[in-house]
Amino acid sequence: MLIFVISPINFSFALDDDPGKYLNRKAEIWNLFYRMMTVAFVIGSVVSGTLIWLVWRFRESNHKAKKTRYEEQGKW
Amino acid sequence: MTLEIQKPRPIWKIMFSTHHTDVGLLYLITSLAALFMGGTLALAIRLELFLPGSQFVSDSMTFNRMFTVHGTTLIFLFILPFASAVGNYLVPIMVRYKDMAYPKLNAIAYWMIPPAFALIWLGFADFTWNAYAPYSVTRAPGPAADMWIFGLKLLGISSILGAINFIVTILKCKHPDLPLSKMPLLAWSYLTSSLIMLVAMPTFAAALLMLLTDRLGLSGFFNPSMGGDPIAYQHLFWFTFHPEVYVLVIPAIGFMYDIIPRFSRKPIFSHVSGIAAFVLLSIVGFASWAHHMYATGMSFTEKTVFMIGTLSAVPASAMHVFNFLATMWGGRIKFTTPMMWAVGGIALFFSAGAGGVVNSAMPLDFMTHDSYWVVGHFHLFVMGTIAFGSFGFLYYIFPYVTGRLYNEKLGKIHFVMSFIGTVMVFFTQHILGLYGMPRRIYDYPPIPEWIAMNQFITIGAMIIGIGMAIFLINIIYSSGKGKEANMDDPWNVGREKYYYPYQSKTPHH
Repeated sequence: MLIFVISPINFSFALDDDPGKYLNRKAEIWNLFYRMMTVAFVIGSVVSGTLIWLVWRFRESNHKAKKTRYEEQGKW
Repeated sequence: MTLEIQKPRPIWKIMFSTHHTDVGLLYLITSLAALFMGGTLALAIRLELFLPGSQFVSDSMTFNRMFTVHGTTLIFLFILPFASAVGNYLVPIMVRYKDMAYPKLNAIAYWMIPPAFALIWLGFADFTWNAYAPYSVTRAPGPAADMWIFGLKLLGISSILGAINFIVTILKCKHPDLPLSKMPLLAWSYLTSSLIMLVAMPTFAAALLMLLTDRLGLSGFFNPSMGGDPIAYQHLFWFTFHPEVYVLVIPAIGFMYDIIPRFSRKPIFSHVSGIAAFVLLSIVGFASWAHHMYATGMSFTEKTVFMIGTLSAVPASAMHVFNFLATMWGGRIKFTTPMMWAVGGIALFFSAGAGGVVNSAMPLDFMTHDSYWVVGHFHLFVMGTIAFGSFGFLYYIFPYVTGRLYNEKLGKIHFVMSFIGTVMVFFTQHILGLYGMPRRIYDYPPIPEWIAMNQFITIGAMIIGIGMAIFLINIIYSSGKGKEANMDDPWNVGREKYYYPYQSKTPHH
């Protein structure tokens, strides 16, 4: 994750405002953006999917639902 | 008029009390009044935009006035006072103290809100809730603009007094047997958000004074014709109001920390990570204000710094989300109305956060700047996360406030309609922004995609509006005629005496 995000920033950042360099800052930053969006969408899908599954699986009306160990021990 | 069944008192006794639950009730009623007034303006805005051309608003200034007061009302008079209401009710109980540290100061902080409310609504200013210079200095018509400035000044003082009271109550009046590390996460949310408020708010208080003296012609801080710098106002404004976003969202997350373990029938997964995430958010909230200003001609280096600063809020937010999911995992979840609001709030918090990652990336920010994307993103946060957390907690605290239960079926209908409406309105606004529609306009060219999306959004807004009407009927009816609640276990989750102690509402002074 760090390598993904930090390295293009370093490239772009090192250039600062000096003219005549080879790297295209615009391309670098768009590249960063697409990498970030790839990471965001993958994590987003996993988290949203987990939330939906949690709601379905652990609702008290699910036939597999059972008392939590905290309920049994009276510790919650 | 009485609002409590165990110790009925006339309303004027509650109004002039300094007891924390009485002041909490005043905050609660004020915030709900603001919710419905600001919400009515939102529906009017959406009706105007249902079709291109003028529907019932004849000029842009009237439209500007409507969304200025809509935004100001819902942020400063609904969300913040609602958080103060809950804090007043529960912070003293959570730190095991008899009241707030300074009860009279507490009442004074509340009583600054009604005059501010009146100033904002009677003035009906037109310069958006940002009051950006130079328009606010040179062109915004008075006395509306000046009334707004005075109103915000009062609200700022009220917020600072409230923040001082919460901080002192928590740090100095906390029971000696209760270490900070064991303090409930809801109380932690009030500690961190109050600290943010205390650091951030004086900057805007200064900016408002400078704005006022500029308008009076006594100074030219933000007036270009007098050598001033309008961008300086934006820096001062966002130095306060980006952290303010966290002041709004942190209590809402705190509400979820009370609701989710209760209805999952498990303790919170990680108390320590919740505290760490609150503290982290309160620090990084100050590292991102200029991401609102990428388009003002900042250097590439500055933009990069603020982009990284903004992204550093992601880990802390993710810690909260994972904490909620891990708490629900392995639980036996009872989907009561408060739990549905909390889970819906988490889902939308995540979606709003994903949009925020896009905004923080400066290349895309230029494409979405001042478009409906921004409106969608901002509202997904304030409605989808903060208001959802607040509504959930309002249902959760309802038996404590009134001694009665609300109607569960109507509460769930309110949630379903609000969730569907929120997705319809604010997700679509993101797409509308990508299609190029600018924000803050009262008329638009008849582009078929724009018309279709605006109509879809307006229908979504109406669904939210109907849900809110059901909510209003539910709370009014249930306050007086609802079923009496079992104050030890109002929702039958099977645990004895987990709920807030009703007897703490008896005033002792």
